[in-house]
Amino acid sequence: MRWVLYAAGAALVGLGFTGLFLDSAPIGWALWFGGVAVAHDGILAPVVLLIGLALRRTGRAARAAAIVAGTVTLATLPTVLALGRRTDNPSILPLDYVRNLLLLLGLLALAALAPRLWNAVRPKRGGRTPEPSDPDR
Amino acid sequence: MSRRLTSIAVTFGRSLPGRFTSRLRSERVAAKLGMWLGISFTVAFATGLFSHFTQHPPAWLLWPSRPVNLYRVTQGLHVIGGIATVPLLLAKLWTVYPKLWQWPPFRSAGHAAERLFVLLLVAGALFQLVTGLLNIAYTYPWPFGFVQAHYWTAFIVYGALVIHAVNEWSKVRRHLWVRVEDPDRRRFLGTVAAACGVAALVTVGEAVTPLRGLAVLAPRDPDAGPQGVPVNRSAVAAGVTVAPGDPAYRLVVTGAVRTELSLAYADLAALPQHTVRLPIACVEGWSVECEWTGVRLRDLITRAGAAPDAFLTVESLERSGYYRTSEVRPPHWNDPLTLLALKLNGRTLDPDHGYPVRLIAPNRPGVMQTKWIGTVRVA
Repeated sequence: MRWVLYAAGAALVGLGFTGLFLDSAPIGWALWFGGVAVAHDGILAPVVLLIGLALRRTGRAARAAAIVAGTVTLATLPTVLALGRRTDNPSILPLDYVRNLLLLLGLLALAALAPRLWNAVRPKRGGRTPEPSDPDR
Repeated sequence: MSRRLTSIAVTFGRSLPGRFTSRLRSERVAAKLGMWLGISFTVAFATGLFSHFTQHPPAWLLWPSRPVNLYRVTQGLHVIGGIATVPLLLAKLWTVYPKLWQWPPFRSAGHAAERLFVLLLVAGALFQLVTGLLNIAYTYPWPFGFVQAHYWTAFIVYGALVIHAVNEWSKVRRHLWVRVEDPDRRRFLGTVAAACGVAALVTVGEAVTPLRGLAVLAPRDPDAGPQGVPVNRSAVAAGVTVAPGDPAYRLVVTGAVRTELSLAYADLAALPQHTVRLPIACVEGWSVECEWTGVRLRDLITRAGAAPDAFLTVESLERSGYYRTSEVRPPHWNDPLTLLALKLNGRTLDPDHGYPVRLIAPNRPGVMQTKWIGTVRVA
């Protein structure tokens, strides 16, 4: 079974390469194919590791918000940059995406700060042990 | 000196995997993310193939014209699912990043082959998401055709995914139904899922109209465009200018017919008109349902006298363009919902929506809803 699946996988890969050679621009494709891997492994991943180091002392909520903010920004970046706008067709990329992204990031920042704000405004009650914050522990 | 530097570099390189200290990088976390990615890429591959063979069907393949919204759903899944996969893929790659620097890089020929297919999988997955995201944002900074490159790379990715899944199967089976107990790891997976959810939530309104207000980062607003409906190719871009009431305009039905038809706009407007609600569903993932009014294509073909199993080609007045013509096979043109539309949402078609006449049919990608029709050829 293992070798049947290996053969099927290799056949799909082979089909893909054959199609690219016959039907596409192989050199330009190869540059992009290698380029995205190098950009991720050589630039994006190290940058994320550095950001992770910088956020080591912050709270869980801030780190979670940073993960959501970073990945959602990357997932929508081509739309936010809106390089594809055309004068003949205003229905393409019609919104103010920079404003919208900033609003979303603002909401995430607010969500990250919410636990702290809550702690700050919560009336302190003496004499009771606080509830354990995490039922899993 | 250079030898010393080299030895420092080698020592550092060998120590690299040990320098990644986050406890979140566990085999179970990687296995969970891998399973979600496997599901996501399977959906993308299946819906992508469906879209491809809808647009390029082999001669024997007669796609049904129902369910009306099938293409809308599959392509929405393809595109919005792809957007939502970005956090997932990045999280998975972060989790396994130390393995990139494992030492020795290759333990055996088999291990080298395994890593080669992982390279194809990683580069291919990134390539598909990057090109897909740029394509829906109408940005094409590459020296190849998007459609061909995205299509063929999908086979490389999926083939490499099958091989990777076989290699990792014992780990997957070990973790598949086991809960992640560690609270930090649970939170990490929850955060990644939330990121996928947010990415989907801020874009899905371009396909699921009731959520349109949330589509703040989608390339399309389902209400933005002429007559409140988005457009992919404008009349200016297509180089088509038919003045309203142009006396020279004719719709010609020709080919394997008993009587050739040549109809002026007024003749078309005088034929029995039908009003249907059908979505315009773009390959780029956005879609919106509209009210279309016009002549049933079936009525027109019956009037010209053609075989019920004839293949039709509708031809636009555009002089060039990849989507200048489209084929309409029997299940689609025999469907009473398929119209040559003259009106959109109760008003005469805007030039950007295909004035004087455009095709609108159920379960069909937007690029095949040919606009500015001049000829229907029967074969």
